[in-house]
Amino acid sequence: MSIRSRRMKAAALPFLLATTVMSILVSCTSPTAAPEATAAPDATAAVVAPTEAGTTGTGEVAREDTVIFDIDNSSVPAPENFNPFVPGTNRNQGAHQAMWEPLFILNYETGAIQPWLGTEFTPNATQDLWTLKLREGVTWSDGVAFTADDVVFTIQMLLDDDTASLDNAANMQQWVKSVSKVDDLTIEFALNEPNPRFQLDYFSVRIWGSIMIMPKHVWEGQDPFTFTFYDQAKGWPIGTGPYKLTTASPTQFVWDRDDNWWGAKTGFHALPEPLRLAWVIAASEDQKALLMSSGQLDSAMNVSLGAFEAIQAKNPKVIAWHAGLPYAWADPCPRQLSFNLEKAPWSDVNLRKAVSLIIDRAKMIEIAYEGTSEPSRTMFVQYGGMNPVIDAIVAAGYGTQPTASVDEGKALIEAAGYTLNGAGLYEKDGQVLSVTIQVPNDTAEYTRSNNEVVEQLRSAGIDAVSQPLTGSTFGDNLATGNFEAAWNWEQCGSVNEPWNSMNSLNVSRYMPIGERASANYVRWNSEGAQAYSAIVDQIGTLPLGDPQIPGLVAEAYKYVYDEAVVIPLAQAQKLVPFDTTYWVGWPTADDNYNHPATWWNSTHQIILNLKKAGQ
Amino acid sequence: MGRYSIGFIAQRLGIFLLTIWIAASVIWLIPRLAPGDPISAMIMRMSSSGGRVENADKIIAGWKERFGLNDPLPVQYVRYMGNLLRFDFGYSLAHFPTPVADIIGLALPWTLGLLLVAVTLAFFIGNFLGAIMVWGRTPGLIRAVIPMFMIFTSIPSILAAIFLIYVFAFLLEWFPLAGSYPLGMKVELSWRFISAVIWHATLPALSVVLVNFGYWTLGMRGMMITVEGEDYIQLARAKGLKPFYVLYRYLVRNAILPQITAFAITLGSLVSGQVLVEYIFGYQGMGNIIFAAITSQDFPVIQGASFMLIVITALAVLIMDLTYPLIDPRISYERN
Repeated sequence: MSIRSRRMKAAALPFLLATTVMSILVSCTSPTAAPEATAAPDATAAVVAPTEAGTTGTGEVAREDTVIFDIDNSSVPAPENFNPFVPGTNRNQGAHQAMWEPLFILNYETGAIQPWLGTEFTPNATQDLWTLKLREGVTWSDGVAFTADDVVFTIQMLLDDDTASLDNAANMQQWVKSVSKVDDLTIEFALNEPNPRFQLDYFSVRIWGSIMIMPKHVWEGQDPFTFTFYDQAKGWPIGTGPYKLTTASPTQFVWDRDDNWWGAKTGFHALPEPLRLAWVIAASEDQKALLMSSGQLDSAMNVSLGAFEAIQAKNPKVIAWHAGLPYAWADPCPRQLSFNLEKAPWSDVNLRKAVSLIIDRAKMIEIAYEGTSEPSRTMFVQYGGMNPVIDAIVAAGYGTQPTASVDEGKALIEAAGYTLNGAGLYEKDGQVLSVTIQVPNDTAEYTRSNNEVVEQLRSAGIDAVSQPLTGSTFGDNLATGNFEAAWNWEQCGSVNEPWNSMNSLNVSRYMPIGERASANYVRWNSEGAQAYSAIVDQIGTLPLGDPQIPGLVAEAYKYVYDEAVVIPLAQAQKLVPFDTTYWVGWPTADDNYNHPATWWNSTHQIILNLKKAGQ
Repeated sequence: MGRYSIGFIAQRLGIFLLTIWIAASVIWLIPRLAPGDPISAMIMRMSSSGGRVENADKIIAGWKERFGLNDPLPVQYVRYMGNLLRFDFGYSLAHFPTPVADIIGLALPWTLGLLLVAVTLAFFIGNFLGAIMVWGRTPGLIRAVIPMFMIFTSIPSILAAIFLIYVFAFLLEWFPLAGSYPLGMKVELSWRFISAVIWHATLPALSVVLVNFGYWTLGMRGMMITVEGEDYIQLARAKGLKPFYVLYRYLVRNAILPQITAFAITLGSLVSGQVLVEYIFGYQGMGNIIFAAITSQDFPVIQGASFMLIVITALAVLIMDLTYPLIDPRISYERN
């Protein structure tokens, strides 16, 4: 029987079952229709049913041996697609947290890049030849050795993509001239130009994921665009991680421990304690709250303060990054307001400065974020590794104030020729000073935060309007310059060095309105932009941690500040609740072995750190 | 052919096919009228999880070319209609390289299993209650109690779902909070799996039934009152026929016809109308597929799912049209 026919048969089963058996429900109004429904099920029975494990054959797994995470989607419509190179493919259903391991993991707390499948990745003096050393003894879960051949094959596959549309293909083609195997554990990357951040940007889980190395012995000969990497009969997908896929459905993914994991054999790390990991759909916040309150979910991706407090009230064993307010961990993409610099009247720098002065960031944190975040001082994320550059910017006088200076802001508007009309709005030549601020409508945080900006601007006499848009329309408008102002996170990128975020405003990436830009969406093309970009280009050639960098950043940031190119608002936040009923060892500010983002490729560290509660 | 003529059947089939063609064209056009496109939506999703996507312009250009989104609209339309004739909905844009048929194939049975039964239950319960509310032999207490249950009709299904979850799943722990079957359970033809599916489907089904049965009750009650005033009912009673026989053979049989027509049309909203129920219960059906496809502007999945709904609705109406003569002896489709 083919895979498809088996799958269709399996999918048709519930319909046949339900239509024949649901009739029982017609006559049975009591829950005695199903034997399990007669008694209130305990958490173990309700959540982790006995199973005939698919690929690992582990059989029954108790609740206390299982860790349950959520997937922040309404469903995973294609649960049998494990091709990580097709942009947008789900990876955070456990694939890159439990199965696919990264080469390195950036530690957000220390700023260090920690070795994982790779042991070192070093550049030459000119930063254009990088040498990667792999860990000895690593094997894929089917027993085949993980070697330089896999790395070379994967990178070459991306380099050979003529369309440059596979995930990271364009990036590899931008930087890598050639990749070659030196020996089974050594690979050399010859770059087109120097790049001190080559390891950090693509192989270290800088944000969310990294380039996943695929097994050559499986992928060779496959079309990287159409290969799904799923076949139960062949045991696919495979990875080097300590868990193997057991079942995959649109609403749940189950992974069972692979006791033959290379890490335990080589002494890299003992086997993780959880026998089973599960990722389940918990689409709404209510659902997350109910599941966590009743011990049926160990970790949720992000909840509001209200939901967190409700969960804690029912289940006091639920914790977060901080023990008290702000509870949340700072996500690496700070929120900001950006104006299209080529659209009047906001092409006037004084009006943009006025907006920055009028916004009360502290009040915004209090109202829109319920105190779970903090005001941004610059356009950068406020992690420890960024402190040297942030401090340099603030010391140079280019930092953003947390509280408003409304009178100063109004003075700037009036200096531009505007006067307040009878409706309390600024007006010039019969035209009211208005601004439409576009915002993606994907989550309540986005619109709530933007609404607060709008409210503050209106109070100061600017006719501001919020325009929530679907993510695709919002992204399109930003890229093509079809916006007046936007609430966004476009300068997201830097987490332990400043160049990544700064380069997103590089004048070399300027495109006229109407043409699609890949960065510099604000269309910054002034003399200041030229001067800024020259400094950014210079920073781009310096090794990570070079002592010249903070001073140069402050020098460049002067142009961003003077022209109000970016108006920093707030640090992003993720309130990630963890239940300690069954598992302890979750990352917290006090036990900060790394950040708490359980939907990232770095979650391997968290899983290895978990211990059974009560031991 | 009895009460049918070949001409009528051919005409009805023609209308059936025309309906499908027009609807298929509309569902092709509407997503393209919306701003944005699926590839940009995909990049935005990546940006939401991983920050700014470097070289996004190249990714967008490459995938637009691969999916033919740069072709002129007439070319895209002809290709789409040609594929439809072969029931080939193409690949999902948001979940490439998964075929749309696979995505629908995984979800549709769950939705049909849940919602077809739930909506049918609501239909039968609603009509039964509507009928006995008018029947003279019904005890007064029952007549008084039935309208009280109608309060659920005025509650949106999403609120009913939340209420049921809170009471029966969270407080009483009689049913699971979410999902279609227990975590890790193998999909198989066994009583253990069957009972688990029913256990998980009970609250979602109940939320549909509770919200919908009142419409049928009210409709049936109105029709019953109208029919009850007819002369032939008086005659039947004057003939001394048993009350239940009059109810079943005379009253209900005549009053139910408009209800059946409405039921056929309701089947079309079977899936689309219960999107939120599946969303709230984390149920792996078509509702969630449609929800995800709309938010990601996944044209082929939206078109495939909508096409299935159109076919189901048109087919249901066609079947109802053709079965009227069997239900009501007064109706005949013979030429004379």
